[in-house]
Amino acid sequence: MNGERDPASSAGSRSLLGDHPVGPVLLEVVGLSKSYGPVRAIQDLSLDVRIGEVHAICGHNGAGKSTLVKALVGLVRPDVGVMRFDGEELSLRNPQDAQARGIALVNQELSLVPELSVEDNIFLGGIDVPLLYRRRRLSERARRTLDALGLAHVPLNAAVESLAIGERQLVEIARLLVRDARLLILDEPTATLSKPEIDRVFMATRELVAQGRSVIFVSHRLDEVFDLCDRVTVLRDGRVVGTHMIGEIDRRSLINLMLGEMEGAAAARHHVSERAHSGVDAVRIEGLSVPGAVEDFSLTLERGIITGLAGQVGSGTSTVLRALGGLVPDASGTVEVHGQSVRLNTPRLASRAGILYIPNDRQREGLFLGQTVESNLTVVRLRRLSRLGVILRRRSQRVARDLSTMVGVGLDRLGSPVDRLSGGNQQKVLLGRALHREGTVLLALDEPTRGVDVGGRADIHELVRDAAREGASVIFSSTELDEVLDLADVVVTMFAGRIVSVIPRADASASSVLADMTTREREGEGRP
Amino acid sequence: MNAGVFGALERIRADRRRFGWADVALGLWIGVLTVLVVYGATTTTGFMTVSNLKAILTAAAFVGIIAVGLTVIVLSGNLFSLALGQTVAVTAMLFLYTLQFGLALAIVLTLLLGLVIGAVQGFAVGAWGANPIIITIGAAGLMEGVAVWLSHGQSIVPPASATSYQRLAEPLLGVPFPVYVFVALTIGLAVAMRRTRFGRGIYLLGENRVAARAAALPVTLLTTAAFALTSVFAAGAGVLIGATSQNASLLLTGSYTYDAIAAALVGGNAVTGGRGSVLRTAGGAVFIATISDMLLLRGYTTGGQILVRGIIVVVVVVLTNLRERSR
Repeated sequence: MNGERDPASSAGSRSLLGDHPVGPVLLEVVGLSKSYGPVRAIQDLSLDVRIGEVHAICGHNGAGKSTLVKALVGLVRPDVGVMRFDGEELSLRNPQDAQARGIALVNQELSLVPELSVEDNIFLGGIDVPLLYRRRRLSERARRTLDALGLAHVPLNAAVESLAIGERQLVEIARLLVRDARLLILDEPTATLSKPEIDRVFMATRELVAQGRSVIFVSHRLDEVFDLCDRVTVLRDGRVVGTHMIGEIDRRSLINLMLGEMEGAAAARHHVSERAHSGVDAVRIEGLSVPGAVEDFSLTLERGIITGLAGQVGSGTSTVLRALGGLVPDASGTVEVHGQSVRLNTPRLASRAGILYIPNDRQREGLFLGQTVESNLTVVRLRRLSRLGVILRRRSQRVARDLSTMVGVGLDRLGSPVDRLSGGNQQKVLLGRALHREGTVLLALDEPTRGVDVGGRADIHELVRDAAREGASVIFSSTELDEVLDLADVVVTMFAGRIVSVIPRADASASSVLADMTTREREGEGRP
Repeated sequence: MNAGVFGALERIRADRRRFGWADVALGLWIGVLTVLVVYGATTTTGFMTVSNLKAILTAAAFVGIIAVGLTVIVLSGNLFSLALGQTVAVTAMLFLYTLQFGLALAIVLTLLLGLVIGAVQGFAVGAWGANPIIITIGAAGLMEGVAVWLSHGQSIVPPASATSYQRLAEPLLGVPFPVYVFVALTIGLAVAMRRTRFGRGIYLLGENRVAARAAALPVTLLTTAAFALTSVFAAGAGVLIGATSQNASLLLTGSYTYDAIAAALVGGNAVTGGRGSVLRTAGGAVFIATISDMLLLRGYTTGGQILVRGIIVVVVVVLTNLRERSR
């Protein structure tokens, strides 16, 4: 790890691990606040990043990490607060401003052109690149930069699409380096990478700080924070709760910082399910695998039991549910419904087997926005509401009325298009279509409360519990700890495509679940 | 949530957001057109007569039947069929040829051919995700080839013994028979699209194909059925057109494809699917027929008529699209 750093080049600017970085401050953020309407994304946020350090930003979902990053690269303008870079005040109107000052963002969605060569990509859109840039000097500069990033084996004229994802990420970094980026922000850079690729990116990152650049590393993966970073700033509810040297903090206290009072309040605030079994198996999943997303997922879902899949974005929770819904053709493994093996190659087959999948993206994949609330509520039960292909209007209207009363969407909206409803009500309509449907064995809800406010969320949770009481088995995914703890009878945590733990809700604590969501190994087996 | 005041406020906000300048422009345009038509109607000699009204409906009937059928493809989100004219020509040829076996059998066989032609195209689009424009252009070429091959490039005329088909072209109670068919098919299809599971499925599929798939709707079946139905309507038009002209060859292809598309567009159906109705298309067909008739009576040349029709289509399409996009 740290032994790989070149002491000769770093000794001047920074001391050894454990001490405070001695490099001067490169970026200073003081009192930054940003609200979106009534929602305060970040509040009075202050931190500094020094020359030659890797500075981690940690926080749970909604803690304000992405707003902070956006403010640093000019994607959002803060309401209040000052940012100073290299002693000068920063006023960023757009990402080009940030780039001109030497602040660069690398995120998961790379901005490379796959068909062009590595060299073309490196200089594409560069600020100081002359019209005829194919000069030896520039090529040499690109070569040197790539070599420094461990890409010595990649020819300059190789097409970017021929490279592995990790290599592309490094090319993206190279692209920013030839523009003399002094502060690199890596936003969840490892979510889509394999282990060897992660190692390459880390090695390159260490090289960069050794040269006197600075890196902000935003990640959910605590292992990586401990592996790579010098200091960590923890955000919670839009505020900084502390900045610590990595040597002065262990994983448990970092998790506690991220959670704050939640653990204590959990007992009071959360509905804690006492049941974990009903004794009746509904669906058995054996060895479910999806190339690149899910490995060997096996789980038994019981009748009337709500199973929560907890995992960060990219952990595979959503893919498991999509596979159950018949939307992942290259999934393998076996699924048994009431002891009968079923094929789940298409949504039609899944639906026939009694599995009802509700997508997480209600705008794109869930709702029919221009169609009426009634149409949306009845879409998965049209067969039962019609005879000889003709829809029975009275029955359809009655069912739609019952469902919308149940989910709390006004009856006067039944004939309106769904896109006239608020986001929360749209989500309720989406969930409503799954309720009280004959023949449903398993409800697979992918992020059932995405984009819903607290009140709406409690309503939706109550509806899901009702559905379970009626006898459906429920499995849902969530990236939000609160939601998993509130709703699940059984908590399943996933990390990088694999199940980390399966525990009854009564035995789960916020910190244990968060630890399992954020690490490759179980707590206690890994690093201190 | 809190119904009452908050519900009402939310609705007002939502509605205001959706009422933009595109709506105003569309309203203005409809107003301008209405004024023009009224002005034209009152100043054009011979327009406000019963016989001219019949002429308009007759002119609208053929294109109307095809366009109304095409609405199913439009609503299903599969753009248009560019094989409508060829379907009309080929089915008209089959109809006249099979008249030797009797009128009823000829009609059944012709509609069946239409069904098969459409179903094959629809299956290609639905099951393999093929582009409907490309598939239907291909189908059009295929039909032309097969038609020329089998007919040796000759026109097909009904057997001398058969006369029963002529009823299909004769006036009934003073109104040409195809007009009745147009009205009946329009009403029938409009009801079917609103009341049947198939119709509901078409609207949902056209609104959001990805969501339709996730909701386990039979996407392939619906797409196949949409093209089959459109094609059966074109075959129905083929029967009537064949009976009227008593002579069928590929020349019948004419401009039916574009006229039907124009009617669907002028009627204000969303090109992206899911929004619109059969009645709108029928209205579009009658509107275009009215304008053409008026221009004809006022002595415009054929070129002038086509030009004016083109302008109307373009403006309506641009405005309805802008309106959809601002939603």
